[in-house]
Amino acid sequence: MANCNGYVLLVKWIPLPSYLAKLGNVLSFSRIATSLPLPSEGDHLRPRIDLIVFMIDIKSKYSLRNVEASLAYVDASFFLGKVCFLVTGVGRLNCCSVEMSAIWKLREVYSSPVLFCELELEGIRVATAQRLLRMLEICAGLIPGVSALYFGSLMSSSANY
Amino acid sequence: MQRRQSSKTPKQPLQGHHKNQTDLSAWCKGGRTDPEKSVENHQTPNSQKNDRQQDSLEQALCYFEKLQDRVSLKKNSVLQQHLATVESIALQRGLPPEGFDVLLNVALSGKFADTVNTCLLKSLVPASVIPESSIISSVSWLCVGKCSGNIQLLFLKWLITVFDFIDHKEQIHALYGFFFSFLQDEKMCPYVCHLLYLLTRKENGESIQWCEMEYYFGMQSHLQALLSLYKLFCPELVTITLPGKMKTYFKNSEGPWKAAINAIRRRSQGNSPLSQPLFLGTAQPQSRKRKWNTQLFIPASSTNRNNLEQDSGKNHVDLYSANKSFPVEQLQTFPQLLENIHHLEFPSQMGSVLTNPLLLHYMNCIKDESVYLRLNYWMGQTLQEECTWCVADNQYEDEFKDFLETVYKTECFLQEGFSSCEEFLYKSLPLWDGFCCRSQILRLVSWIPLGNFSEMKSHLYDPLAQLFFTSSLYFKCSVLESLKELLQNWLNWHVIHLDSASDSQVCSLNTTLSGLVNVVAELIQFVGWISTVALRLENNPTFLLYFILDFYETVCDMYLRYSLPLLIMPPAGVFYPALLSMDSVSLNQLCYIMYRYRTNLVAAKENEQSKKKILQFKFSSQTYQEYNQYIIAMVGCLWTSTAFQKDIHPQGLRMDEELLKKTAMQELKTSFNIVYHPAMMGYAVLFLQQVMGWANIWGKKWNWYLEYLYTQGLKGLKLFIESSINRVSQASRSKAGNTQA
Repeated sequence: MANCNGYVLLVKWIPLPSYLAKLGNVLSFSRIATSLPLPSEGDHLRPRIDLIVFMIDIKSKYSLRNVEASLAYVDASFFLGKVCFLVTGVGRLNCCSVEMSAIWKLREVYSSPVLFCELELEGIRVATAQRLLRMLEICAGLIPGVSALYFGSLMSSSANY
Repeated sequence: MQRRQSSKTPKQPLQGHHKNQTDLSAWCKGGRTDPEKSVENHQTPNSQKNDRQQDSLEQALCYFEKLQDRVSLKKNSVLQQHLATVESIALQRGLPPEGFDVLLNVALSGKFADTVNTCLLKSLVPASVIPESSIISSVSWLCVGKCSGNIQLLFLKWLITVFDFIDHKEQIHALYGFFFSFLQDEKMCPYVCHLLYLLTRKENGESIQWCEMEYYFGMQSHLQALLSLYKLFCPELVTITLPGKMKTYFKNSEGPWKAAINAIRRRSQGNSPLSQPLFLGTAQPQSRKRKWNTQLFIPASSTNRNNLEQDSGKNHVDLYSANKSFPVEQLQTFPQLLENIHHLEFPSQMGSVLTNPLLLHYMNCIKDESVYLRLNYWMGQTLQEECTWCVADNQYEDEFKDFLETVYKTECFLQEGFSSCEEFLYKSLPLWDGFCCRSQILRLVSWIPLGNFSEMKSHLYDPLAQLFFTSSLYFKCSVLESLKELLQNWLNWHVIHLDSASDSQVCSLNTTLSGLVNVVAELIQFVGWISTVALRLENNPTFLLYFILDFYETVCDMYLRYSLPLLIMPPAGVFYPALLSMDSVSLNQLCYIMYRYRTNLVAAKENEQSKKKILQFKFSSQTYQEYNQYIIAMVGCLWTSTAFQKDIHPQGLRMDEELLKKTAMQELKTSFNIVYHPAMMGYAVLFLQQVMGWANIWGKKWNWYLEYLYTQGLKGLKLFIESSINRVSQASRSKAGNTQA
């Protein structure tokens, strides 16, 4: 993984706990933003972004709204397989304020996969980070014969076999 | 008074010739340890504190007993103090049995305001058992209706939660009719339904009362649950059709009692999360029931032996009670089971069945649907409550894993899946992170019963695919293995039910052969698809290829071994990587698979031609064509070196002459065969080293080389060559070989 040149951008809402920073540490080449658009000052310094991960905390309606607002600033070409949603807090189904139907709707509208993760446990953090890494490898074009678009079509639930 | 007496002496098991439910008796008094159990020993300083607490509890109970007039809570500090005492002791250690009578009487008699009553009811946490008499008197208060509606509801919720703590239940069963009459109250209806569900025995089904239920309209889920239970006991009397799928009928009533009971249990048994052997009672050697979870409460079987009705000679087992019923705790050996199989009394909590092999044997033999209904219901509730990624506390992950293991082992024993388990998987797989309890979940997947495609696609295939593509190599292999076992379980099910004409098994759809063929075909196509993608993503590792080819080893033999008229070739994305792989294991496996395909196809063709009648299923010519294309490629790669010229498969190896010339390979037409194949080169070199002095392999040395390969364990290769390759061309081959050198 040392020669992976792509970057993953994690878009999160501020009050998500510090475990998120740990997720970012596992993914050593990631940047975290709290919302889009990114500030234009760093444009020339910014490397190419290969994967955008939107983090949604299911306990907070605000995080969903934040993500929805940020989605508007994403260039359309990213939605060809370079965007995914990471939903945390599913283990708290008792106190979730975001309906699962809203999540599934996001998945359909933006044709992007949804991953689930509980940030509190290290094992799950590491496993999810590894999954994001695999996606990053594909989106950065490091797997011969597999493009981000192809992968995105695989992950959509309307895939036909 | 009875109470005072028991406060001084250590707690004895209740009188009666039946044994108590669990080792709850040890909880009550600190300082007394049972040598057979590893309950934590409370130290002596604590016993003084316990005595003080016991005294204050006694005082409080005395006070409540003697209270005649209505007292307002706010003004009376004595009342408040006693309430606080009761509450604190209840939450800390639970209340002794004597306390329930007094407190229930107070709470349900309507003497006090609702706040007091609610507080009292919420403190009714049992430490050991609840005497039946207190319940009876409470029900009589309920009938009188002196307390408010909310209190009645709270009482019912409490009763449902602590149902298993009640020591005897005969009199409660006798009050069945009273409970039934409460159904009419709309607010109480769901809870009463739940209670009746727990209480119903076969005898109740025959009473005429419940016929009236059919006229209640609005088929709410709780009524459906009760009716489905009645239908099981007396199917001829229930005429309306009920939905087949088992749903969660009863909402889990949230109450403080469960948490308090769990907390007390945890505290008294220390921090051992793993199961301990549980002895029921001390006098007699009992059957060991491993409590699979120390904090989830599975009470052991309660035995109701007093005045039970005669089972009038029908040759089936009366589940709940029978004349001279044989309590399950005494069941220790298989001969005992056989002797008493008609008097067996099932435990009131079905969960304890899971770990008892004798009861599982019984479940296997006697096809009693109510058993499955109860077990499924209990399991569904437990899985939903305890699922570690769907609840707030996931500190009990180890226990949940053990529970899932137990369920899996039970499914293996019974050789069928539980519908509640299937529902749990369908609900939680879309939300699964792929890490928690991974091996247990994947093993449970292999027992999913046959279902229709659209359901399986959205609930099983899609979430699995999403996890599959993004996860590690090992996860992929685990998924493939569990899908192979799923296929085998379906095929075994088919073989077993092939001959049984009247199939009354619980199978939602696909009891027809064509339905089964469709579902199996869809699974195979799904696996073919994900295998192709996975090989691409992981760059053809041998480890992954092994699992994929293992799956196809089951697929290739479906016709002959499992009598399923279906034959599906592996996709090109699996076939060619295996054919051109760099190691001989995959090649050998592939050869074996192709050999089995050939055998199956030949057998099918023979059956077709020999039978006069038209078969329902014939393999289409497309299947034969696919097979032929693959065979041409294989023979070309292994034998005749003509793969690049003759492979006609659309995704095959065929290349134009010009392109082949550009490779500047000499002796193109003879350079790709069993000697020069990258997987076999090592063997060729070793062979030549052994027969030193030969520079090349041709003529009879070819045969010796083949013999050498067979001795190296390449059985699949042997079978393939002997069956698929026409050795008449051996002569021409050796001539071509002679031109080398």
